[in-house]
Amino acid sequence: MLKIYVTSIPVDDQEKALNFYTKTLGFIKKTEVPLGEHKWLTVVSPNEQLGVELLLEPMAFEPTRVYQKALKEAGIPCTSFEVDDLEGEFERLKALDVQFSMPPKEAGTVKIAVLDDTCGNYIQLMQKL
Amino acid sequence: MSITNKTFFEAEIDALYLRAPFSRQMYLQIRQSKHFMALYYMKKLELDDLANTAFLSRFHYVRVFKRMYGLTPRAYLRDLRISKAKEFIESGASITTVCFDVGYESPSTFSSVFKKCTGHSPKEYQKLYNAI
Repeated sequence: MLKIYVTSIPVDDQEKALNFYTKTLGFIKKTEVPLGEHKWLTVVSPNEQLGVELLLEPMAFEPTRVYQKALKEAGIPCTSFEVDDLEGEFERLKALDVQFSMPPKEAGTVKIAVLDDTCGNYIQLMQKL
Repeated sequence: MSITNKTFFEAEIDALYLRAPFSRQMYLQIRQSKHFMALYYMKKLELDDLANTAFLSRFHYVRVFKRMYGLTPRAYLRDLRISKAKEFIESGASITTVCFDVGYESPSTFSSVFKKCTGHSPKEYQKLYNAI
């Protein structure tokens, strides 16, 4: 049976990304395998350590930069993470100087906000209502 | 034309929500039934109980819930129970205790549903988690 074990996000600097995704967002580093000039670098949620890993993928393929830039300019999040308490997480991250392009907003069955990951991407935070 | 600082994404979200086929009141009613599940997942919950908390008929309730959340209330409740079961197993509870604490009356049914949802039996999941 096929299993989804990893999803990726393009980052312009893996070390900077690891710092932001662990120290600011609160993920845990799961794997770090040197591969040439880059690494296979993944993080997981502390509560889902057996779950899907997020690969902090270096942008070695030039068109990725174009795509990432276009998404960012339109304010479109590259991916989405679930939180239990969006307002609480918004306040916590604001206190850490994280920039939001969209503050918490209710939209039907969810409440969402969008933050800047400082690595070229917008990230959506989502609380199921 | 009004001036706005909204990104393309935010404007799209607003437009989608405005075009949603349900009233804000209907969202609140369905959320109430979800809240009921979150409070009482450990009890035997019938569809009528859930529909009543949303003030809807069984048929209408299932239809609206599925349209809003993309899965039936029964599937949502199953996922909620399995998610709680994972939490309880991770906190060290025995498999049999977890089974009853998340609303299953039969350990074999619990085990098979757990395996179907997670890919591991409760015992396997316990071993994997303890190995971290």
